[in-house]
Amino acid sequence: MLSRVADSLYWMARYMERAEHSARLLRVRLEAMVSQGDLESSEEWRRMLHALADVQADDPSADPRDITFRVAFDRANPSSTLRSLMAARDNARQVREQISSEMWEHINRDYLKLTAMDFDWAWSGNPAQTFIDIGDGIWMFQGITHSTMRHGEGFDFIELGTYIERAQLVARLLDVYLSPPQEDGPKFAAPGYFDWINLLKQCTGFEAYCKVYTAQVAPRKIAEFLIFDPEFPHSVRFAVDKVQSALEQIAPGAPQTRRAACARMAGRLKAFVDFSSMDEVAAGGIAPFLASVLKQCEQIHGAVYESYISYGIEDLVKG
Amino acid sequence: MSSEKTVLSPEAEELPEDDAAAGGRFARPGIDEPFDAYLIDHTYDECFQPNLWSRPHYAKLHELLSSLPVEEVQRRQLACEQSFLHQGITFTVYGKDSSTEKIIPTDLLPRIITGAEWARIEAGLKQRIAALNLFLADIYADGKAVRDGIVPADLVYGAKHFRKEMVGVAVPRGAYVSVCGTDLIRDEAGQFVVLEDNLRVPSGVSYMLANREVVRRAFPALFRESRVRPIERYPQLLLETLRSLAPPGRENPRIVLLTPGVFNSAYYEHTFLARQMGIELVEGRDLVVSDGRVCMRSTGGLEQVDVIYRRLDDDFIDPLVFRADSVLGVPGLFDCYARGTVVIANALGNGVADDKAVYAYVPALIKYFLGEEAILPNVETYLCRDPKQLDHVLANLDKLVVKAVGESGGYGMLVGPHASAGERAAFGELVKADPDNYIAQPTISLSRAPCFVDGKFESRHVDLRPFILTGAETVVVPGGLTRVALRRGSLVVNSSQGGGSKDTWVLSE
Repeated sequence: MLSRVADSLYWMARYMERAEHSARLLRVRLEAMVSQGDLESSEEWRRMLHALADVQADDPSADPRDITFRVAFDRANPSSTLRSLMAARDNARQVREQISSEMWEHINRDYLKLTAMDFDWAWSGNPAQTFIDIGDGIWMFQGITHSTMRHGEGFDFIELGTYIERAQLVARLLDVYLSPPQEDGPKFAAPGYFDWINLLKQCTGFEAYCKVYTAQVAPRKIAEFLIFDPEFPHSVRFAVDKVQSALEQIAPGAPQTRRAACARMAGRLKAFVDFSSMDEVAAGGIAPFLASVLKQCEQIHGAVYESYISYGIEDLVKG
Repeated sequence: MSSEKTVLSPEAEELPEDDAAAGGRFARPGIDEPFDAYLIDHTYDECFQPNLWSRPHYAKLHELLSSLPVEEVQRRQLACEQSFLHQGITFTVYGKDSSTEKIIPTDLLPRIITGAEWARIEAGLKQRIAALNLFLADIYADGKAVRDGIVPADLVYGAKHFRKEMVGVAVPRGAYVSVCGTDLIRDEAGQFVVLEDNLRVPSGVSYMLANREVVRRAFPALFRESRVRPIERYPQLLLETLRSLAPPGRENPRIVLLTPGVFNSAYYEHTFLARQMGIELVEGRDLVVSDGRVCMRSTGGLEQVDVIYRRLDDDFIDPLVFRADSVLGVPGLFDCYARGTVVIANALGNGVADDKAVYAYVPALIKYFLGEEAILPNVETYLCRDPKQLDHVLANLDKLVVKAVGESGGYGMLVGPHASAGERAAFGELVKADPDNYIAQPTISLSRAPCFVDGKFESRHVDLRPFILTGAETVVVPGGLTRVALRRGSLVVNSSQGGGSKDTWVLSE
């Protein structure tokens, strides 16, 4: 498949995943604000902003309404939900003929809906519902993708983009809950009972966790679940496994030397997660572990680019 | 039909139409609602005869529209616009710091052509395209038509779109024009005449297909009863055409569509055709020339390309040969083309034959190359390069349409009867300064067809662009893009200037 097409499919998927993630975090936060009555808890808003790598995370003057606007609807914020969805749709438009009409019409409709949405109106009603709708729309897109597109190489690039993004987003989210305060990093109060439950909810994992560990809220078990559970779609291990299997399928015709670089890195990351246990991670420090996951994801991204997308013609001649 | 208007549910499409047929009441144009604002004058009307009766092939539509509540028509029109928006059938309007995507205005009411009318159009188009392909092959080889005095030499070799690089290049099957869009209009007597040939990169076929899709959904029962000839095979026919042009010895030729990219106003069409044909949509940056062959950059490495259906103008194809500042093209592409390792469709240099001055000679070229009289006549054309004709043009600017020879899209033209005295005088000076660059034609009032405008049925001027494919054989899909001048009284149908389009039904009988 064309390198440019692979590139667009990959980024379409990454931006979709990113948009869904920010919408989900906002939704959980806004629901908590109502149901758990922590209207005043700026600490949890700040934690969320750090998980999203927001540049104004420590601005003390921002209230929930400002933050929600900035994170979700601000066109000036390149990582807002709206901008992520726009970027995903732009990429989809550039490969309009490669994706199914069902996929295109769905993403286009969501885009038209979101760009036309009036924030004041959304905020004055039930803002959490707005984010449920946005998130559902994106999940539906991912479902339509699974059901209508050929599961060929293009699909593998979508899978790769989705899961490399997810591994990084989850790792960053876990970091703000699990890592002890770093000297130069942000300081948070230790999470409380509701905060742990919210962490699970932010990974769509509360119910799944209860099925494995019962409703007993134990931070260590939560960490173990969100990092190591092999069957839960928002765990780090699950995402890493998917990255590795997507890479196995990609570019079957490419020279072995180029495929090997990607395969080696993905295999190393998989082994790194597979052969770690919660005990080891806890002993060695959870922050370095998550930092290493993030770094290896970056390296895989770089290797995919060098091997399949932005390779030089002269490299090809060398094989 | 009682005067009570019922609001219909979208599912109930069949019932009210049968109902209307039973009632049999026709709204008279210019008199009865919702046709009360419908203008009938000396201009040929597609739907109505001068006595205000509908023409027989429009009767079913007329009857339906006479009885269907306008709210219902409005609803169907909205549904059609929504569908275009969701499918992304849009063009982009670039503003100062933002851009908006707009849908192409589409009118829901089909334009209907009888089987007999179509038979003549089809024969005329095939004849015309055959002559034009022979003419192009002659221009870039022996130049017989020029030597025999059929066409003036300077008109051909001095044309803006003449490409000397094409001399001696072998074009498979002599199909210089493999995809053609010819603009036809109907004169006041109701006769179809050729207004313009588009032999370079004609567009609009996706709107032809998209219009059909939505209009069939809007009037399912009428569509079925009318026995409309299908057009849906166009993408397959295009693919077969391109396949038939592949270099010899390439069993399974790789065919790609070359687009200028996502910012091009016809980008939707490019993605649509690539998807429908199942071929790769490529941009210039996806192609490289390696070892005398054109290849595309894929994740697995370089893959050879055999046929390029290009939607890029000649100028931008290859910066080494044509415009050096083109970043849309592929360096070295022309060399591969000239050596026959890759085929480009349409061929380069076709613009010399759809020039507005050369147009005047097409009937003579048909006679010269085929020994036949032209089936579809031209519009009478005055060449300002001829002093006598120039005088006539300058003396009659208020009656004529004057056009710059190398322009398209409705630019560089004066519509005499609609211009002010000042505009005419200014344009007259332009013509005098460079007479070779202008032609003039009598103002033909394009025929009108019913359109749905602001809750009423009104008449608007229309033309017709059928699409002709030439590979191993020449085929014309029965239909085309009917373009509409949506502004009341306007004769300009170009989408860049406030035009819209509508579905074209060619009937079977």
